[in-house]
Amino acid sequence: MFGYVRPRRDLLEQGGFDAYRHAYCGLCRALGKMYGFRARFLVNYDMTFLYLLRASVRCPGEAAPCWCPARVCGRKSCTLDSQGFAPVTACTVILSYEKLRDNIRDESFLRSLPYRLLFRLFRRAYRKAARAYPDFAALCEEQLSALHGLEENASPSIDATADTFARIVSGCVGDIQDSNLRRPMEQVLYHTGRFLYLADALDDLKEDCEKDAYNPLRYRFFPSDGALSSEDLTYLTELTDSSVNLAGAALSLLPVRAYGKLLENIVFLGLPSVFCAVKAGKFQAKESLWQKKKTINDHTGEKR
Amino acid sequence: MKDPYEVLGVSRTASDSEIKTAYRELVKKYHPDNYANNPLADLASEKMKEVNEAYDAITRSRGSQSGSYQSSGSYQGSSGYQYSYRGGNSNGSYAQVRAYINANQLDAADSLLNTAPNRDGEWYFLKGTIAYRRGWLDEARQHYQTACAMVPSNYEYQNALRSVQGGYTPYRQTNYQRSDMDDACNLCNTLLCLNCLCGGCR
Repeated sequence: MFGYVRPRRDLLEQGGFDAYRHAYCGLCRALGKMYGFRARFLVNYDMTFLYLLRASVRCPGEAAPCWCPARVCGRKSCTLDSQGFAPVTACTVILSYEKLRDNIRDESFLRSLPYRLLFRLFRRAYRKAARAYPDFAALCEEQLSALHGLEENASPSIDATADTFARIVSGCVGDIQDSNLRRPMEQVLYHTGRFLYLADALDDLKEDCEKDAYNPLRYRFFPSDGALSSEDLTYLTELTDSSVNLAGAALSLLPVRAYGKLLENIVFLGLPSVFCAVKAGKFQAKESLWQKKKTINDHTGEKR
Repeated sequence: MKDPYEVLGVSRTASDSEIKTAYRELVKKYHPDNYANNPLADLASEKMKEVNEAYDAITRSRGSQSGSYQSSGSYQGSSGYQYSYRGGNSNGSYAQVRAYINANQLDAADSLLNTAPNRDGEWYFLKGTIAYRRGWLDEARQHYQTACAMVPSNYEYQNALRSVQGGYTPYRQTNYQRSDMDDACNLCNTLLCLNCLCGGCR
């Protein structure tokens, strides 16, 4: 329900944040309409970014008041764009299902019981999504299998491991026919996916060291006590900054008609802020974007 | 052809200076330096051409004397992002590797490079470029560092290394620069003013 790819709300104009909220609520509504009520729980910031990116080159749908299960009375404005949301909802369902499969594989039988239950609950939705987008479902399976191979061999290459996940994320626009649109979008998503993988690896590093679980940063930098040295942290920050720059350069090549400022805010401000918070050990992936208005300091990652 | 005003993102009633400002912003945005080694360099080049043509069309229709940077040659050509190997190696394969890289045939470039008998600075530079184009930035940086250590005087290698070190950043609107950059600039300005006040500007 949450995620890493989020805007800097404090640096967005009021209209910009409203547009973001409408897209998020629109995605939630579309998930419910296409894959049943329980699929609404899969909505997250990362897939909202995917919708914004895909919708930026065409005319997005209008916002209209809709029923919201999270609101007892009254309605919420949400973007109505069934055609635009169709591939995004399918990717959301497929990725969530694969994530559950991954968790089942990683955990012991007892610990994996909740995931096994959810796995069964979302099976029908997954089959429907995989029928509609078979290439993406196959790509996910293929790349996750490659990732497991790298994990089993304790690969020290952060590029090779991040590449498998980044390929999955960039595959979310594989259905777009126009190569002048698809290629820049793939680059934006590839580097966003790479960023996500590295940020998540850094976030989990201490826990993985304690559990003696695989983490590419462990085998690349050999951290002591589950923490990277300041030099390694600077190096990693420069790598993620390069990814942000490359994603931004690709974004500039899109003939954006809508959500331009919002997308720039997410890529140029949101991603670096999230990485600063992760570095400072203060990032909370499950923190809601809607209620809290605290901002993240670019230098220390602290909230103020 | 697209509406030139739409390409530059200005209204038909915009003044000449507004058009020039918009044009310069777009030139900065799509400059070949921002897309050096980038797999999307061809798209950036097309955008640049489109912007130049739009600016030329507007200036022609308004009877203005100023032309685009393209007409003066400043931003035309491929030197910014197309490789042309000037050195030589025993089997001449580096030129072919660069040709493959320019054509985005990275697997072919990598296979050919792996057959090269010697691993000199150029070999590591090309290896780094293939990794960079794939988005494998950690590997690219390590290869570029080795290339720079082997041939410290090569500017091409140094520029490539800067591109993955974060020292060279592609186009970013001024609004999106990080605040620490602003702080650094403010500090510099303060020191400069202090220097002047203390008689350093005599």
